[in-house]
Formats: sequence, structure tokens, C-alpha cells
Amino acid sequence: MEIADRRIPYLLVTPLTAFLLALLAVPLAIDLVYSVSRVTFETLRAPRLIGLGNFVAVIQDAGFWQALWFSLKFAVAASVAQLVLGLFLAVFLAPLLKKVPWLMALLMLPMMLAPALVGLMYRLVLHEFVGVVPYYLYLYTGDSPAFLDAANAFRTLVTIEVLQWTPFALLILYSAYAGISDDVREAAAIDGAGALKILRHIDLPLMLPTIVITFFFRFIDSFRVFDNVYVLTGSGAGGSTTTISIFIYEAFFRRNDIGFAVAASLIFLALSFLVLIGLLRLGRRHA
Amino acid sequence: MKRLKSVLLALAALAAASTSSLADVTVLGWPGGPEEAGLRKAAEAYNGTAAADDKVKLIFFNREGFWDKLQADLAAGSTEFDINLLATYAIGKYAPFMEPITLPASAKDVFGEKTLTTMQYDGKQYGVPTDLSMHFMYYRKDLIEKLLTDKDWQAKYAEISEKYLGKKLTPVDPDKWTWDDWAATALFFTKAVNPESPVRYGTVLQMKNLLFNMMVFGSLPRSYGANWTDASGNVTVDSPAYRTALELYKKLYDAGATPKDSLSYEFAETNAALGSGQAATALQWNAAAADLNDATKSPAIAGKIEAVAPPAGPDGRFTHIHGLGFGLNKASTHKDSALKFLDWLATADAMEIYAKAGGSPAVSDAITAKLPERPDLAKLGAFANAYGFVMNGATSANALSVYEAQAKAFTGYWAGTLTLDAALAQAQADMTKLLK
Repeated sequence: MEIADRRIPYLLVTPLTAFLLALLAVPLAIDLVYSVSRVTFETLRAPRLIGLGNFVAVIQDAGFWQALWFSLKFAVAASVAQLVLGLFLAVFLAPLLKKVPWLMALLMLPMMLAPALVGLMYRLVLHEFVGVVPYYLYLYTGDSPAFLDAANAFRTLVTIEVLQWTPFALLILYSAYAGISDDVREAAAIDGAGALKILRHIDLPLMLPTIVITFFFRFIDSFRVFDNVYVLTGSGAGGSTTTISIFIYEAFFRRNDIGFAVAASLIFLALSFLVLIGLLRLGRRHA
Repeated sequence: MKRLKSVLLALAALAAASTSSLADVTVLGWPGGPEEAGLRKAAEAYNGTAAADDKVKLIFFNREGFWDKLQADLAAGSTEFDINLLATYAIGKYAPFMEPITLPASAKDVFGEKTLTTMQYDGKQYGVPTDLSMHFMYYRKDLIEKLLTDKDWQAKYAEISEKYLGKKLTPVDPDKWTWDDWAATALFFTKAVNPESPVRYGTVLQMKNLLFNMMVFGSLPRSYGANWTDASGNVTVDSPAYRTALELYKKLYDAGATPKDSLSYEFAETNAALGSGQAATALQWNAAAADLNDATKSPAIAGKIEAVAPPAGPDGRFTHIHGLGFGLNKASTHKDSALKFLDWLATADAMEIYAKAGGSPAVSDAITAKLPERPDLAKLGAFANAYGFVMNGATSANALSVYEAQAKAFTGYWAGTLTLDAALAQAQADMTKLLK
């Protein structure tokens, strides 16, 4: 009876373990084999082992580093902007949201849309002849910039990412802000602290762990961005908006160089891991 | 007992129905356009007379990433479809996963030799060419008519052409345009160049970093003698012909003759720009013809748009052509039935039904004569035979990648992030790797 009892936990975790093995471990093992092989769609079932050649090719590929740099710039710019804007809105709208909680549901709407759909929507919105933005710019200024040319594409893409995902930052940061007891603020106010002092010395320090977590979430999401960038500009004029995900996708599907693409994704994974560990340590130190 | 019997009977009926549906031939089509409408009608007509086991059913992916998904499915040996869409520029890529077919002899009379070759690879036929794609030079009739008759406009035209192209030109009929004539016309109708222009832009160039845009662009360098490779297989993209063509696009873009956002333009954006009534010309796919002259879809320009073959260069007049068609999945489990449908699709009757419902097959005069509602089809066949070209290597396994390499390098030059020399050197190096 005791032995049978001891088996129960193992039996209970078996389905989940099998599921994870099938969906994560097996593809990872195949990826590891592909990363050290010459493999195309024609030779998916018969990859030829070539050692670390794919990793060397990726590291020597200027396009890989260019794409990585673009993704990093994009992720930092977008996540910092979302964080600052989300924090401002969380504090600024807090009294209103306390009185009208359902307003939060309305504010969440942008992030409920599929990113690819948002990309398509902005392709229309920014189009010189059918878009709302250029229409009013022409009407009132007689001119409209090229939102998606090589000079402006980065700014436009970051702005669209910020517009779609700031609600996510707002949601988390508002929850943290609302979770701070009013007694603490009242005590500070009685001691003569003004609104800015309360924000700086009470709210922000208490919200710091949440701020760090929010930044992580948004950074990870923006770092691996694919859909809306791909729909809006593709890889951009001369490859100027190639994110690391687009780079890997193109190597895999378009160049049919599967070993190279998988090696690139593994290097990307390792680098992301390092960046995240660095950021986590930084966050912990400050928290 | 009675209830049990009925349940068993129902189950048996269900099993029979599912077996019969398993015997169906599944066709994977090109979704969301006239091709889908055409295929639906054709399949409906075929199923009306086909035996139960030969009937076809249709499935459609989304257009976004269609070819990548198809590639993954074919490589995985999917049996979910028996017949799949095929395009000239992707035949080499998919040929290892498809089965060559032999069409009935009458197919030559229906399509003509040149159109059939758009579905051939390594000397073998891989599909039935149901749609032909090429480029038309669209222009505003009303504007060009005035330009051909108005003395003041002609004087301004000569002045602009001398300033930007280094030679004094006089307007000519669009059907006799050289690329210089077209460029002069585009510059004349550009507000930034000629503030008196009734429209904002002289043309709309599709300059997004996208492989299909390289097909549109390709007709220009080809007319200056360009090709991807010479007879010995050496890549020849770093050539005076490509140089001239790339410089002409850049000159027009820098002069403001095409919308500022042209570096993000493809088919849909070009149609919208032309449809707004703010552009005088555009080199665009033939598929746009019906929409541009449709009063509900393009009210600003409907009835004012005319289309001719692309302008001529020193080596002649050319238009890129490629076919869309249907071929046989090597992993198909219903090959015999699938072949019956493909044979039927290659008949005059099938193509008549397909074209009437919106498809764009390049078919013989005898068939187009029966389709008075589709005058564009007569043009399609005539242009394909007179001006159609396929670059050397453009049906190879890496053809799509070659277009992508060109798109990346050339758009870099147009955007100003690469010099012309660097762009051509980059394209030359990438193409050499891909076409070796």
C-alpha cells in the first residue's frame, strides 16, 4: 500500500513530463542536430553533420549582428518608452481608474489585437492616399513625411509597438500602485511631503520590483518582435529593419539554409539568456 | 433494439460518407482573389460530371507566407492535399516534392507553347498554367491626351526632360514609349518638378524590399540587355544594363516623381496610389486592370486608365511573365483521380469557366473570342508571346532567393544606405552563391 502511494506522484507528473518531452525536448534535440548539420527542406530527414560550421558562419555573418543590433535598439527604445508612459498613466489615471474600474478594459483594447493585424492597420493608416494621418497632415500642413522609408521606419515601428503594448505596462504598474496602502501616503502627507516627494520616496521605491518585472516582460517581447515589423516594412530597404526573428525566418524559409537558421536561433537564445541574467542581477541590486 | 439499430445504421452511413470524402481529390488553391473565384467555379463544374471517387474539394491557406507553409507541408510529405498551387519562380524549389505530369496533346492548342513552359522545370511539365502574371504600363488617358496636344505642356515637357534626362524630348504615344519617354512623362506630371501638374506624382514605383517587386523592376534592365547569367552560367548582374535601370529608378525617386513612401510599396499600395487619381502612370501587375477601371473600386480614375506593354529599351520591349498553376503532390494518395482533374483543367471548356469567374489564363484566341467580358485576356496572351521573358536561372531551386538578394541590395541603393557599386557587388556575390 505504501509503495503504491509512493508511485502516485510519479504517475501524476508522467503526462505532463511526456507532454513537455514531446513538445520541447524532442524539437530541441532535433534543433541541436540540425545546428551542426548541412540541412535543407530536401534533406530534412537526412541531415549531413558538418560540425560547428554553421555557428562559425553565423558569427561571421554581418547581417546577423546587424539584425541583432536592430532588435536590441528596438527592444530598449520600445520597452523604456512603454515603461515611462505606462508609469505616467498608472499614476495620472489612478484616481479615475479607482472610480471607474471598467475604464481599464477599454484601455486594454490595443493589446488584444494580433500584432500582424496592427501592422496591417497601420499600413493603411499611414498610406499617403488612403491613410488618416497623411490626409490630415496634407490638409493642415500641405505635406506628410514618409513614415516607412529608411530614415523614419525605426521611429514609426517603435511608436506602433509603444501604442499597442503600453496598456500592458499600465495594467501591471497600476496594480502595483493601487496595492500601496493609502495609510503610508497619508502618513507622509501629514509629515509634510508633497505629491512629488511621495511619488519619489514612497511610490516608486515600493513599485520598483514591479517596474523591473514589467521592463523584463516588455523587453523580451520587443526583442523577439516579428509580426508587425514583417507586415509593415518586411526587412526594410537594404535590410534596414531586419529584426533577429526576421533574419532567422528568412534564412530558414527563404534561403533554405536550415542548419544556419537553427544555429543563429541557438546563438540568439544564448545571448538573450545572458542579457536577461545581467538585467535580473541589475534589477535585484536596485530592488 | 430499434433504437440501437438506428444508431448502428447512422454510424454505418457516417462511415460510408467519410470513406467517400477520403476518396476526394483535395486541391490547395491560391486564396482570396480572382484565382479562388475561378477555381471554385471550375471545381463546381467538374464535380457536376465527375465520378464519386474523382470529385474534388478545395482548401485554401492564407496568402501571407503561403509559399513557406506550402514548402514545409510538401517537405513533410503531407497527404492533406493531392494537387497544389505552383508558380514559375518556385518550381525548382518544389520540384523534388512534386510529380511531373503529361498533359493531353490538346493543351498546346489551349495555352500555346510559351505559356506551357512557365510550368516546366528540367524539361518536364509540372503543372497546368491556369493564370499568367505580367506587367502592364498603366497610364491616365485623359492626361496623356492633353500632353499630346497641348503646346504649352509640350514646351514644359521638353524643358524638364532636358534638365533631368539630358535630352530634349517630345511627348509620344504610350504604346511607343521608350523608358526615357516614360521617365520624362513621369517627371512632367510630378508636382515637385512641375508645380502646374494636375496630379501629385508622375508614377508609382514599387520599391519595397520584396521579391515580387524585383519582378516588376526586372522588365526595365531586361530591355537594356540584362540577364541573371550569361550562356556559360556566369552571373551578370553587375552590368551596364542593371546600372542604367537602377539609376533611373533612383533618379525618379529622388526627384519626387513617385510617392515618398515608395520604399514600402507593393501591389496594394500602388493600386491605392493610382486609384486615388494622384498619379499619372504606374508599372503594375496585370491583375490590377479590372479593379482600376471598376467605378465602384476606383471611382476617381475608372474609365480613364489604359494599359500597354512596358516601354522599350535599346534591346527591345519586355515584360516579366510567370505562371500560376496546379501540379501533383508526390505524396498524394489519390494520384489517378488527381490526374483526371488536371487533364480536365487543361481543356478549353475548363479554362473558359475559369476565366469567366475571374481567373487570368493565357489562352488561345479561339477561347478569348468567347470571352467578350474579359478584353484583358486577349492582351495577356498577345503580350506574353510578343514580350514575355524569363531570366536565365529564374526557375532554378534558388530563384526566389535570388529575387530576395536583389531586393535587399537594390532597395539599399534606392534608400541611400548603399552606393550603386556596393549594391551591385552585393547582388553579384549573393547571386553567384545562389546560382552556382
